Amino acid sequence: MSNVVIAGYARSPFTLATKGALARVRPDDIAAQVVAALVERTRVNPQDIEDLIVGCAFPEGEQGFNVGRMIGLLSGLPQSVGGLTVNRFCGSSMQSVHIAAGSIQLGAGDVFIAAGVESMTRVPMMGFNPLPNPALNALVPAAYIGMGDTAENVANKWHISRADQEAFAVRSQQRAAAATEAGHFTAEIVPIKSKGGVVDKDGCLRPETTAAALSQLKPAFDKDGTVTAGTSSPLTDGASAVLVCSEDYARRNGLAPLARIRSVAIAGCAPEVMGIGPVAATTKALQRAGIKISDIDVVELNEAFASQSLACARDLGIRDDILNIDGGAIALGHPLGATGARIVGKAASLLKRVGGRYALATQCIGGGQGIATILERI
Amino acid sequence: MEAIRKAAVIGAGVMGAGIAAQFANAGVPVLLLDIVPEGSKDRNALAASAIAKMLKTEPAPFMSARAAKLVSPGNIEDHLAQLAECDWIVEAVVERLDVKQALYAKIDAVRRPGTAISSNTSTIPLRLLIQGLSDAFARDFLITHFFNPPRYMRLLEIVAGERTDPQLTQSIADFADRALGKSIVHCKDSPGFIANRLGVYWLQVGVIEALDAGLTIEEADAIVGKPMGIPNTGVFGLIDLVGLDLMPHINASLAKALPPADAFHAANRELPLVKKMIAEGYTGRKGKGGFYRLNRAGGGKLKESIDLTTGAYRPQVKAELPEFAAAAKDLRKFLSSDGKFSRYAWRVLGQTLRYAASLIPEAAADINAIDEAMRLGYNWQWGPFELIDKLGAGWVADKLEKDGLSVPPLLHASRDKSFYRQDAGRRQFLGADGVYHDVERPAGVLMLEDIKRTSKPVLKNASASLWDIGDGVLCFEFTSKSNSLDDQIIALLGKTIPLVQEKYKALVIYNEGRNFSVGANLGLAIFAANIAAFGEIDKLLAAGQQTYCALKYAPFPVVSAPAGMALGGGCELLLHSDAVQAHAESYIGLVECGVGVVPAWGGCKEMLTRWSTSGMVPRGPMPAASKVFETVSTATVSKSAANAQELLYLRPSDRITMNRYRLLADAKALALQLAANYVAPKPVELKLPGTSGKLAFDMAVDGFYHRGLATDHDRVVADALAGVLSGGTADPIDVVTEEQLLNLERGAFMRLMKTEGTLARIEHMLVTGKPLRN
Repeated sequence: MSNVVIAGYARSPFTLATKGALARVRPDDIAAQVVAALVERTRVNPQDIEDLIVGCAFPEGEQGFNVGRMIGLLSGLPQSVGGLTVNRFCGSSMQSVHIAAGSIQLGAGDVFIAAGVESMTRVPMMGFNPLPNPALNALVPAAYIGMGDTAENVANKWHISRADQEAFAVRSQQRAAAATEAGHFTAEIVPIKSKGGVVDKDGCLRPETTAAALSQLKPAFDKDGTVTAGTSSPLTDGASAVLVCSEDYARRNGLAPLARIRSVAIAGCAPEVMGIGPVAATTKALQRAGIKISDIDVVELNEAFASQSLACARDLGIRDDILNIDGGAIALGHPLGATGARIVGKAASLLKRVGGRYALATQCIGGGQGIATILERI
Repeated sequence: MEAIRKAAVIGAGVMGAGIAAQFANAGVPVLLLDIVPEGSKDRNALAASAIAKMLKTEPAPFMSARAAKLVSPGNIEDHLAQLAECDWIVEAVVERLDVKQALYAKIDAVRRPGTAISSNTSTIPLRLLIQGLSDAFARDFLITHFFNPPRYMRLLEIVAGERTDPQLTQSIADFADRALGKSIVHCKDSPGFIANRLGVYWLQVGVIEALDAGLTIEEADAIVGKPMGIPNTGVFGLIDLVGLDLMPHINASLAKALPPADAFHAANRELPLVKKMIAEGYTGRKGKGGFYRLNRAGGGKLKESIDLTTGAYRPQVKAELPEFAAAAKDLRKFLSSDGKFSRYAWRVLGQTLRYAASLIPEAAADINAIDEAMRLGYNWQWGPFELIDKLGAGWVADKLEKDGLSVPPLLHASRDKSFYRQDAGRRQFLGADGVYHDVERPAGVLMLEDIKRTSKPVLKNASASLWDIGDGVLCFEFTSKSNSLDDQIIALLGKTIPLVQEKYKALVIYNEGRNFSVGANLGLAIFAANIAAFGEIDKLLAAGQQTYCALKYAPFPVVSAPAGMALGGGCELLLHSDAVQAHAESYIGLVECGVGVVPAWGGCKEMLTRWSTSGMVPRGPMPAASKVFETVSTATVSKSAANAQELLYLRPSDRITMNRYRLLADAKALALQLAANYVAPKPVELKLPGTSGKLAFDMAVDGFYHRGLATDHDRVVADALAGVLSGGTADPIDVVTEEQLLNLERGAFMRLMKTEGTLARIEHMLVTGKPLRN
C-alpha cells in the first residue's frame, strides 16, 4: 500500500466569533481563500486533486448546500475535483484527513485536500433548529449534554483543580504569544479579504492573561464549578486545510511533504465525559503504529477545555515540553470544524521544525468520542 | 424654514450630548462637536467619548442602537464647515459669554443664512448673547433651554429676542414639539427663565427652612413631596439628583442677575454644610452620595442620610407619619394646623407660591406658562397656580399677610377668584389682564381630558369608559387602578365590539394615565386562587382570549396607543391590535414569567406569529419559537417604543409619536386611515417544533440554572412556557392552529397558578411591587 503524506498546511487567522474581524465574512468565503492559498503554496497541480473534503460541525445556513463542493467552486478548483462535507463535530476535519488517507490507500485517488471550516458567528453552535430526540434523551440522558458540563464532569472525576486549569490556560496563552512573536504562525496563516480590509492576524489571543486575573472569573457553566471562560476555548471563526497525497505522488511531482501518516483511530466514550475521548483514541493509534507514548516527540492535543486537556495528558503520560508547543485552542480559538486539520497540519510542521520522529494529533468530540492521528517524520 | 433634516450640537457635555441623542431619537442625523482636547490623538475625543458614555448610561439617552449611529462626533476645528449642511445648530458650551460669543462669530462665518442657531444657556440673557453680532445672526438666534435628561424631560423653554424672526421661532418650536416631543413654554428674556427661576428658589427655601425648623431631611422630603403633588425626591433628594456642586453656581448667577428687590436674595443664604459636602466630594448621585448615600463600607449597602445639625451621616429613618398621609388628602388643613411639620410645609409652599405670583409679567406672560413649566420641568403634579386654586387664593393671600409678607399684586387681585375655571366645557385661566382666556392646546393636539369635560361616555362601567372622539372613532379608556385589566374591562370591550361594528368606523384604545396598563389585576387572581376558585380564573382567561381575538378579527380597525408601561395583558392587547401608535416612551413587555405565569391572553400565540412571519430569523420550526422564548422567559420589557420594535412587541410598521400630547390625534388619524378599505387579518398557520423543541428549551434553561442564573421556580415556569411555545405535542410538519395555542396557554397558566412558587411570586409582587426570585 502507498504511504500517505501531509504535503502542505494553511489556515485562516482564527478570530473571535461575533466581535472578531472575520465575523462578517461568510465561512465558505474564508475556506475558499485558504484552499486556494494551499494550492498555490504547495504548487500541486489542481487537475490532479481527486476530492476536497471539508469538515464542518454545523453544516447548515451559509455552511449548508454541501459546503465542501461550494468551497471547491469558490476557490477556483477545477470542476473535475469532487467536494464532500464531513461532520464529526470537533473531529470533522481530522476525519477529512482520515478519509483522504484511507482513499489513497484504497487506490481511490492520489491527491486530496482535507479542509475544515466553522463560522461560530454565522451558524450558531447547535444550529438554527436544534431538535433533540426526547426518546434518546430519556434513554441516554447525556446524549445532548452541553460541552461545558462535560468539562466540569472531567474536572471532578479526574480531580483537575481550578488552579491547575488556570495555570494550563496561562501556559497556552504564553506559548501562543511567544510563537506569534517568533513568527511561527506567519507561514501557515492565509490573509483573508473582508469588507473591513485584509485580516491576517489571530484575534483570540490574550497574551496579558495571568493566573491572578483568571482566578477572578466567575464559573461559566456551573455556579459551583471550576471551569471559566478563561479555561475554555473561545467561540471562533476560521478555516484550515492540509494537502494529503501519496508519498509517491509527492516525490514524482516535487512536493515538499511534512510528515507521513502512520496510524489513525477513532474511539467512543461516555458522552458526559467526552473530553477524555483522546485517551482511548490515542491508545488505539499508538497500538496500530506499534509505538509507545514515550516515542512521541510532538503532541497537538486540542484544548477544548483546560480540564480535559490536563486529564488526557495525565492519563496518557504526555510530557509537558512536547505538548502544544505553539499554544492551543484556549489561546488560539477553536472553530469546531477547522481545528482537526489545523492540529494535524501543525503537528506535521512542528515535527519538521523541532525534529524528532513521531507526532500525535488528537482531540475530543462532543457526544463522546476521541480521534487521533500519528505522524512520522519523513 | 423647511424641516430639520440635519442638526448640529456644539458642546458635548451632559446636556449637549443628551440633546444630540434626542435629535437622533427623532431620526435626525446630528453632528456633535466639541473642542480638540490638548495632546489627544483623536481630535474628536470629547464628542466620541460622550457618545460612548451615553451608550452605557441608565436611563439611556438613546431610544435604540439605531439612533446612536445617527450621531457623528467631530470637533470645532476640523468640522465647522459642515454646519452649512445643518438646519438647526444648538450651542451647549460652557456658560461663559466670551466663549459663546467667539463661537457664534465662527458659526456665523460658515452657516447657511436662515439656519436657526440656538443656545441652551440657562443663565445668560439673550440680549447679552447677541451683543455685537450681525443683524442676520440676531434674526436667526434664540434660546432653547432643555432640561436634564433631554430625552426624558418634556419641557423646552424658548426665549425669542426682539429681533428674532417669529417665523423661525415658530418652526423651531413646531419641530421641537412634533419631532423632539417637547412641550414648549415661551419665556421672557429674564434670569433663569421660568422653571429654574422658581425651582431654584423653591429648593433654596426648602433647604433653609428645614435647617431653621430642625427637621430631618427625610421629614422635609416627605412633607414637600406627595402632599404637594411633588415627586418623592422632595427637596434634598432632588438636589442630590441635580448635583450639589451646581447649587452655588446657579445661585450665584441668579443672585448676580436678579434686581436687589427680588425675594431670591433673602433666601440665598450661604450654607456651610453644603460647602463642606461639596469639598468632601459629596456632590450627589453622580458623586459618592449627597444628602442621601448608600454606604458600601464593609461590603454592605446601608442607606444613610445627612444629619442637618451635625453634618454627619446616620442611618436613614423613613418619615412615615400619619399626618403626612392626611396632608396628602387635605393639604389646606395640614397647612392650617400648628406644629413644626405644618409650619415647615407652609413656610416652603407659601413663599414659593408667593414668588410664583411675582414672576408675571417679568418672567412669563401668564400663569399657564408657569404651571406648565413646573409640571413638565420639575414633574409637579400641579403647577403653583393650580395649587393656589386648591388652597384658595384668598386663603393663601391672608395667610401670607398674617406672616407679615407682602402679597404680590396678581395674587391680591385674584383674592376672590380662582386662577382656572371651566366655562362651557372649556378650561380657562385668569390672564394678567384680569380676564379669563381659554387654555389653548397646540394646533392638532387632541386630549381625552378635554373631550371628557364636554361629553358623556358612550359606555361605562367600574373599570373602563368608551368615548366618542369624533369622525366615527371611539376611544376605549381604562379607568381602573394603575389601569390594571380585570373582568370589567374585558366585559366592556366585549360590548364595544358590536357597537363599533354597527355605528362607527374604528376603535382607538388609549388613556391618559401614567401607564397604558400594568397588566392583569393580580389581586383578583390571588384572591381567586386563595379560595380555590380556579374555575373563575379559567373563565377570565377564556373571556380575555375570546375578546382579544374578537378585536383582532373585528371588521373594523383597532389602534392601540400606549404611553408609559404596557405590560402583560396590556402588551397582549397591543399584540392583538391592527396597528399601534405608540408614544416614544413606551415600556412594553410580556412580564408574566416574572410573577410565575405565562402570557395566556394570546401573547404567546401573537409573538410566535410575529416572529414566524417576520423574515428576521432563519427558517425551520425553532428560530421563531426560540426568539419568543428568550424574550418572554426573561420577562423582557422594552426601553422605548423603538426598542419594542426590535423585540417585535411592536411591528416595524407600527408608528411612534414623540410628543405625548399628540398621541391620541395621531392614533385617531391612523385609525381613520386604516378604516378606508379595511380588511380584517386572517389567522396565520404556524409550524412548531413540538416535544423536540421543548427539550431544546429545557436544556437551555438547565444551563442557566447550573450557572446560577435561573432559580428553582424559573425552571418550572420556563418549562411551562416551553410547552406552549413548542406547540405542545405538535409534529413539526403539522399546522398548529390559534385555538390549539390558546388552549396550551390556558393550560400552562392554570397549572402554574396551582404551584406554591407562583402564588409566592404573585403575593410578593402585590406586597413589594418587585419580582420574587424563588
